[in-house]
Amino acid sequence: MLETDRIQLHKLVEEALPELDMMIGWTESCDPLQTTPVFIRDAKLISKLTLGPFCSQNLAGYLVKPPALESVPKDAKPIGICVKGCDSRSLVALIQEKFISRDRVRIFGIPCRGTIDWRKVAQRVGLSDVKSATVEDDFLVIDASGTTHRIGLEDVLARKCLGCRYPNPIIQDVLVGQVATPRSSSLETTYRDVDALDNKPIEERLAFWQSELDRCIRCYACRNACPLCVCQDKCIAETREPRWLTQRVGLPEKFLFHFIHAMHLAGRCTGCGECERVCPMDIPVTLIKEKLNKIMEEMLGYSAGLDPDGVPPLLTFNPGETEI
Amino acid sequence: MTDSSPRSSAPADQTAANTQGIKIVGFLCNWCSYGGADTAGVCRFKQPTDLRIVRIPCTGRMDPLFVAKSLIYGMDGVLVSGCHPRDCHYAVGNFYARRRMEALKLFLPFMGIDTRRFRYTWVSASEGQQWQKVVTEFSEEIHRLGPNPGVGPRSGENSKISNGLR
Ligand code: SF4
Ligand code: SF4
Ligand code: FES
Repeated sequence: MLETDRIQLHKLVEEALPELDMMIGWTESCDPLQTTPVFIRDAKLISKLTLGPFCSQNLAGYLVKPPALESVPKDAKPIGICVKGCDSRSLVALIQEKFISRDRVRIFGIPCRGTIDWRKVAQRVGLSDVKSATVEDDFLVIDASGTTHRIGLEDVLARKCLGCRYPNPIIQDVLVGQVATPRSSSLETTYRDVDALDNKPIEERLAFWQSELDRCIRCYACRNACPLCVCQDKCIAETREPRWLTQRVGLPEKFLFHFIHAMHLAGRCTGCGECERVCPMDIPVTLIKEKLNKIMEEMLGYSAGLDPDGVPPLLTFNPGETEI
Repeated sequence: MTDSSPRSSAPADQTAANTQGIKIVGFLCNWCSYGGADTAGVCRFKQPTDLRIVRIPCTGRMDPLFVAKSLIYGMDGVLVSGCHPRDCHYAVGNFYARRRMEALKLFLPFMGIDTRRFRYTWVSASEGQQWQKVVTEFSEEIHRLGPNPGVGPRSGENSKISNGLR
C-alpha cells in the first residue's frame, strides 16, 4: 500500500513540478529508521521522494526559516511541500500569522499512520547494524545483525503520534493515499502524559523537571527546529538587549529558557513534537508545551493550527470573559 | 527599583519578625493600581513592607515571563495589579493581560512552582483601601508559604541533582 502511495506521490509531483519553484519532501537516508529532507527542482530526482512511518521530520519550518522564502522572489512560483496531519497544522498556524501566504505553497497532504521514534527502537534492539526496517500491519519489522525483530507499533511510535487526533491534513491541494483513522479522539488520550505528571505531588513535578532540564545544554536545537519559533537570531534567549538570559549554566537559566519557549508558543504550538524529536539530550520538551496546549483548550476552547482564519488566543481578547 | 514607590510614604510595619528576608515584587499599572497604592500611602494606611514595586505603563505590557523569571530566580511572591476590566487607560490592555496571566497561573504548578506565589488583581486609583487589603492578604499568604525554594542552585553553587548523560 505504501508503494502505491509512493507511486501516486511521484506522479502528482511530476505533474505539478513545472508550475513549482521547488518541491520539498523526504527521501531515504543512510539510516533505515530515518528519512532526510530533499529539495527538488530537477524532475530526475522525483523518484527519490518517499513517504511513510520514517518521515518524522516536519518540513514546514523550511518555509519560514532563513535562508528559505526570503531568498525566493515574491513573484516566484509556489513551493510544493509534503505534509502529514501534524505538519499541516504548522502550515495553518503560519498562514494564520501571515508568515506564509496560502497561494505560495502547493500542499501535498499525506494521511499519517504514525511515525517511528528511533530512540524507542534503539532502547529495544540497539542501533548497530540495522539493515532494513519496514512496518507490517501493527508491527515494526527490523532486520539487525542477522536477526529479525518484530516490535509492536505502539511501543515504537513517537509519543505525539500515540495521542494524535489529526492524522489527516487540515489543508491540502492534493491528498496522497487513503484517509487515516485518528489514534485519539479525546483530551484524555491526547494529554495522558500531561495528566500523569499532573497527578503527582508538586514536589515530584519539580524534581522531575529538575532532573530532566538539568541535562539541557541549551543548544537551542528545540527552538531552531520549531516551525513556529520564527524570531531566530532576535530570540530573547540570545539577545543582549534586552538581556533575559546569561551564559551561566545553572538550573534557573535552563528553566527560564524553557519558559520562554513555552510562553512564546502558548496558544500557537500545534504539538508537532519537533522540539522533542531533535533534542540531543533526550528531554521531553514537547511535554512542557502540551500542558499549555491543554490549558488553551480547556480555558479558551482553542487548539492551534486548525483554522486558517483563526487568531491565536493570546494575541486577541474577549471583553465578555468574566470568569478569568 | 523601590525608591520612588508609593509605599515609602506609608508607615512601615516593623512588628512582624518573619517579614525579614521575604521579597515580593509587584508589577503595577501606572494608571490605576500604582495610583491606588499611592492613595493608600497618602492615606497612611498600614501596609506590609516586603513589596518592591515595578511600575509598568499598563498590564498590557505585562509579559508573563516577568513573573516566571521572578519566581525562577527566587522572588518569594509576585503580585500583578492593573485597572479593572473595561477601565484600562488604553482600553484593552488588561483584556490581553488576564488571558496571559491566567494561562501562566495554570501552567506554573506543572513545572513544580507553587502557583500561590503569583496573584493578579485589579485595583483602581481611588481604591486605597482595596489596595491595602490586597497587598496585606497577599503578603500574609507569602509569609505563610515561607521563602521560595526556587528551581535549583544557580551555576557555581553545588548541584545536588545528578548531572550529565543518562
Ligand atoms: S534541544 Fe534539548 S538540550 Fe538543546 S536546548 Fe532544547 S531542551 Fe536543551
Ligand atoms: S513547540 Fe515543539 S511541538 Fe510546539 S510547534 Fe514548536 S516544535 Fe512543534
Ligand atoms: S492602563 Fe491600567 S491596565 Fe491598562
